[in-house]
Amino acid sequence: MLHYYLKLALLSLRRNPILSALMVAAIGLGIGVCMTALTVYHLMSADPIAHKSDRVYAVQLDSWDVNAPFIDARPEQAPWELTWRDAMVLRESDIAARRAAMFISTFATRPEAEGISPSFVITRLTDSDFFSLFDVPFAFGSAWTREADQAERPVIVLSKEKNEEMFGGENSVGRKLLIGERYFEVVGVLDDWAPVPKVYDLNNGPFNDPEDVYIPFSLTETLEAESTGNVNCWKNEPIDSFADFLNSECVWIQYWVELDSPTQVEEYQAFLDNYAREQQRLGRFERPLNNRLTSARDWLDVRRVVQDDNRVLVGLAFMFLAVCLLNTVGLLLAKFAGKAPQISLRRALGASRGTTFLQHLVEIGMIGVAGGLLGLGLAVAGLAGVRLIIDDYERLARLDPFLVGVAILIALAASLIAGIYPTWRACSVPPAAHLKTQ
Amino acid sequence: MLKMHHVSKIYRTELVETHALRDFSVHVREGEFIAVTGPSGSGKTTFLNIAGLLETFDGGGYLLDGQDVSALSDRQRSRVRNEKIGFIFQGFNLIPDLNVFDNVDVPLRYRGFGAAERRQRIESTLDLVGLGSRRKHIPAQLSGGQQQRVAIARALAGGPRILLADEPTGNLDSLMARQILELIEDINSRGTTIVMVTHDPELARRAQRSIHIMDGKVSDLEPFDPPAVAIEARATA
Amino acid sequence: MEIRPILSAMLRNKTGAVLIALQIAVTLAVVTNAAHIIKQRLDLIGRPTGLDVAHIFQVQSVDFAEHVSFRERVRADLELLRGLPGVRAATAIGSMPLSGGGSATEHYVEAGQDESRVAANYFTIDEQGLETLGVKLVAGRDFRPEDVDFYESTSGKLPASIIVTDVLAKRLFPNGNALGATVYDGLGQPQAIIGIVEHMHGSWVDAERVDEVVLRPQIYDGNFVRYAVRTEPGRRDEVMAVVEQKLTALDPQRVVRGVRSLEEIASDSYGADRAMAILLTTVIALLIAVTALGIVGLASFSVKSRTKQIGTRRAIGASRPDIIRYFMVENWLITTGGVALGSALAVALNLWLVRTFELPKLEIVYIPLGIAALWLLGLLAVLGPARRAASIAPAIATRTV
Repeated sequence: MLHYYLKLALLSLRRNPILSALMVAAIGLGIGVCMTALTVYHLMSADPIAHKSDRVYAVQLDSWDVNAPFIDARPEQAPWELTWRDAMVLRESDIAARRAAMFISTFATRPEAEGISPSFVITRLTDSDFFSLFDVPFAFGSAWTREADQAERPVIVLSKEKNEEMFGGENSVGRKLLIGERYFEVVGVLDDWAPVPKVYDLNNGPFNDPEDVYIPFSLTETLEAESTGNVNCWKNEPIDSFADFLNSECVWIQYWVELDSPTQVEEYQAFLDNYAREQQRLGRFERPLNNRLTSARDWLDVRRVVQDDNRVLVGLAFMFLAVCLLNTVGLLLAKFAGKAPQISLRRALGASRGTTFLQHLVEIGMIGVAGGLLGLGLAVAGLAGVRLIIDDYERLARLDPFLVGVAILIALAASLIAGIYPTWRACSVPPAAHLKTQ
Repeated sequence: MLKMHHVSKIYRTELVETHALRDFSVHVREGEFIAVTGPSGSGKTTFLNIAGLLETFDGGGYLLDGQDVSALSDRQRSRVRNEKIGFIFQGFNLIPDLNVFDNVDVPLRYRGFGAAERRQRIESTLDLVGLGSRRKHIPAQLSGGQQQRVAIARALAGGPRILLADEPTGNLDSLMARQILELIEDINSRGTTIVMVTHDPELARRAQRSIHIMDGKVSDLEPFDPPAVAIEARATA
Repeated sequence: MEIRPILSAMLRNKTGAVLIALQIAVTLAVVTNAAHIIKQRLDLIGRPTGLDVAHIFQVQSVDFAEHVSFRERVRADLELLRGLPGVRAATAIGSMPLSGGGSATEHYVEAGQDESRVAANYFTIDEQGLETLGVKLVAGRDFRPEDVDFYESTSGKLPASIIVTDVLAKRLFPNGNALGATVYDGLGQPQAIIGIVEHMHGSWVDAERVDEVVLRPQIYDGNFVRYAVRTEPGRRDEVMAVVEQKLTALDPQRVVRGVRSLEEIASDSYGADRAMAILLTTVIALLIAVTALGIVGLASFSVKSRTKQIGTRRAIGASRPDIIRYFMVENWLITTGGVALGSALAVALNLWLVRTFELPKLEIVYIPLGIAALWLLGLLAVLGPARRAASIAPAIATRTV
């Protein structure tokens, strides 16, 4: 029977090719626009370490000015980043299974080999745990060890792209690279890795590419590595040297820990609060105790990574879909109204209301699937357009398989919703109504 | 009132030319009630369409109420239809979305009458066809006979010189058909010329005379009157 | 003309009319609000910056290590840049205006008085800074070579003189006596205001006080320096093409990178706003297309299903223009119903946008403009089907089936 309905549906669609095309186009456009907006929104709010984002925590300490909160509009918040001296103390604790302090800096670099011109490298100075905290994949070699952290060893991990540029993509483990005035030994080369958003550092472009290279955080002092990321200061204190800067109340270090159980979370929170109280006694941390542990999952919300513009666009896109559906309902009504005599005849020949209904739902389903496919095509084009317009969205505007499923579902649901009323209207034609001429 | 002189009408398709009317001449005098008969496909409807200015013709001449209508523009033809001709169709052709009053109102609107005059005309013609009390009904709420009465009222409301009826009782049972015919006779007795196409010889006999069309030609006129005025033959298009 | 009978005919077939009206209502709501947002973004992008955006570019130099000859390097670089054909002026500059990156600090009108502090974006430039940026000095004097000095990048020491924008001068000294006055940093170091410039945008284009800017005669020591270069009209790209190679040739033991025009930098900063404007324009265009297609589709169908009726109207005397007018009036009535509902919807949508996203309130003028546009759209969309209706032969009326 389904085969018969499919045949009837095809016949019916071909009978009014323009009307059918209009309906498919309306659903397709609606889906295309919606999917484009949703994809960007979905990826923007995505959780790049979903499998462990409830165990990885961002650490905040409220070391800010007693006279004003870090953000005037959000007085409940503590600074997003830590001071150097606080980060150095937290690094001493072994409550957390893994911990990493980090910031970005920029160096001039060139490989040991001749012939390759020097360039800038955006460098993340971090601890060895960074790679396991965020499940960073390696193509060659591995992360450096904690021992290397402590020994301030000049070791370096390259991104896949940088390895491509510097060493032609081959296994460069053991090779040397000039960073600033020192040679660093390559211990690892990353595989493709681009978390979106860059949850571990939302301060410096949440949708930027990951850094070119990674070196131990413990080298900061030796290298006098200045942060080329976000630095916020509040205290009027004389800063005349790099040592002064490290000792200042300026916040510029992101700090992450992995806590495997609620007990550990409690323990770590107590540790932070104790530390803050201790500092209060020493005259720092004048604000009320406000030390925060936020899981990676919540961190994206707290930091409001998804921009309002994208929410507005999603809202408007759904209104656009509504217009397309109203359009389709109207066209379907028109189409089915024209079929009333035929329906009436079929009913007279013994079709029940139910089978007639089914027959038309099959027809609508076909329109829905065609509309969904067209919509996907348009979404691919739409996303290409978005990538063209916004450079930052290079990694955001990509169709993902989950959303393709969603698109087909929305298309089917939408066309069925749009189709129910017209079909019901058509099927309530009494069998005898159209058999006589007027 | 209506004079056709050697009128011809050819329907052309890619493959064939069909001569719907050839060398067709007829003269209907003012106040007459003429029946037009003939088998299906003989050209009855073509004759009526041309007489009613619904279609143009290819050769010959046509005077309606003394006016040469062969060279009128579309807009002028609309005007003539609106002012001088009333139509009654087999399928009634009422506008299903409009009630009785508004249906009769349609031609009067195109005529450009004022509201008061339209109301007066609608009410008096509806009274004439015996539907004065059904003004607010929509066509679907009326019987076939009543619908045809509304159609007649619509045809009459503008005060046409000639009423063209195409199988006016074709969709009605015999009782209703008789009533409609009586109404048409009554209208004729008030001075309106009537041309009625029918395939029913019974009905045709009620007319003062009938024209029989066969293969696009008048085959039999009884009683036959040659055209009183010679009409200049138009050059074939 | 015949509005009442058209209306009553429509009411008997209301579903189609209601659907189109709803579509028009949502379209009006979306189009007015989107157009409003677009206008705001374009206004933002189009604000005067006070800078000669079209003729400025930047270039950066990084050494592998700090070295004693850095100051000599900067002087030599600047000499080379200023001597390049087509260059009008060049300066060392801490960060580029309109770039989204920069520095801000507190300025105290009364030393040590917290109530008197004003945070402002500052730029470090040299004696050619004003000329390079193209900002206009309206009071006082420009920096002289002797005002400009090198400072350790980690040093908190400050130059003794600054130039500020007029808006900032008035904020710091509402009585208008800013020129020659002194402001202080958090540690009480004095800075004398020696000049006032008319207008200039700072680093952060989305900041409310983007035009409150301080200029300092200062160059940072270290291994990193950024230069801003202003060229003669029409020669920017030509200079940009050679600058990296010229600077590298001067000293190959460093990295010269980051050659970017201010135009490109600013365009990136406004990227999100421009993208929003483009995306919303696309949504508007598609929405209008869909709505127009919907009107065409339904009107065509309505013509098709009313063929006999139209023939009858023609038979009883309606002229072609009468038929066209009928469909036009019918469509106009539907559109009018739609825009009436749509106006309310537009306001409601705007309220939601204002509450949820703190977007600005819809200017009321967008609604009548939107209504007029949709009226026109409806009439244009229905014109085709109406003309097809008018071409239906009156002889259809006598056809039995």
